Amino acid sequence: MTREPPGSEAHAKRPYLIVFVALAAVTIIELFVYSIPLAHIEIISILMATATIKGGLVVGYYMHLRYEPRWLAFIPLAGLALVAVLVAALTSTSAHP
Amino acid sequence: MAHSGPAGHAEEEHHGSRWPVIIAVGMAVGYVGIVTPSIPILLVGFVVFVAGTGGWVHDDMRRPSSPFYGVGTAIESAFPRVSARKLGTWLLLVTEIMFFSAIIGASWTLRLRTTTLGPDFQGPWAAPNQILNVPLTGLNTFILICSSVTMVEAFAAAEKGDQKRLRLFLLATLILGIAFVSIQAYEYQKLYFQEGLTFKSAPYGVNPLYGATFYAQTGVHGTHVTAGVLALAYVTRKAFRGGFTKENHEAVELVGLYWHFVDVVWIFLFPIVYLLPA
Repeated sequence: MTREPPGSEAHAKRPYLIVFVALAAVTIIELFVYSIPLAHIEIISILMATATIKGGLVVGYYMHLRYEPRWLAFIPLAGLALVAVLVAALTSTSAHP
Repeated sequence: MAHSGPAGHAEEEHHGSRWPVIIAVGMAVGYVGIVTPSIPILLVGFVVFVAGTGGWVHDDMRRPSSPFYGVGTAIESAFPRVSARKLGTWLLLVTEIMFFSAIIGASWTLRLRTTTLGPDFQGPWAAPNQILNVPLTGLNTFILICSSVTMVEAFAAAEKGDQKRLRLFLLATLILGIAFVSIQAYEYQKLYFQEGLTFKSAPYGVNPLYGATFYAQTGVHGTHVTAGVLALAYVTRKAFRGGFTKENHEAVELVGLYWHFVDVVWIFLFPIVYLLPA
């Protein structure tokens, strides 16, 4: 007995190619940003924002999280919440050596 | 370990297998060998791990690769079913998120504290492209992104039952993955032997930790990519043997999830290691 897994319908209509173009474009932007004379914090913010956009596109569309049952997304989100806590802790301790 | 199900539920597959447990035991013993440290224990663990993986591959190559939704009833309204193995894969990816956060977080902390680390760790961080090759690695980043596209196309082909397209795109993903690892290996040997970026020293008076953190972060990622390449090689081989159908192709999806994850890690690692200013 085969069960139709949720989210497998309409595969042909998924925007894989558009996402690829977006990923490539953002990568090219990143490769230019680092050579612009901006303040450290500005470059870091921009690069982390572009990385988050790219990561979000891959997780949402290529890993199909956008098409899965909602609760499944809580699993990687929980992991990212832990990462946020770690980054906050490390940054604050490093600011006051 | 077979199901006893209602009449009509054919014995097309059973979901029990001893190999995952054996593989896990091998990994656990190997880990004990690493932290003790004890080479004999590590070797025993490694052998058990390889034997378990070999046994699993041998069993799986000739079996359908279909999702398993668990025995018993589920609370359908609150938690629509996700296949057990897919859920397990996502949980694995979360543990990997934690693992990479530890390595990247530690490297980042060391980088922020170069003025307070003591006499052996003096010196500024390198500027982007000063020691590392940003254009080449930018190309490598593009290669990895392409491999994610080919991977998702392979999965789409599997869902449609298009064997030819599935094989083509799996092969493309495998080749791109091998290309990524090869370029990394080439960069490593150039940096280590020609530029003088070792685990303990760096050229141009740059902080010695630059090399250590570089190799730790990209090395751990490269190891994960290599493991992904091995998994891809297996799935590609199975595809070429006609092992996947429209109904049974879960392995393609799960290897795909792992592969995309490795790409996402690199999406963050590349700017952090290669592009951030000193």
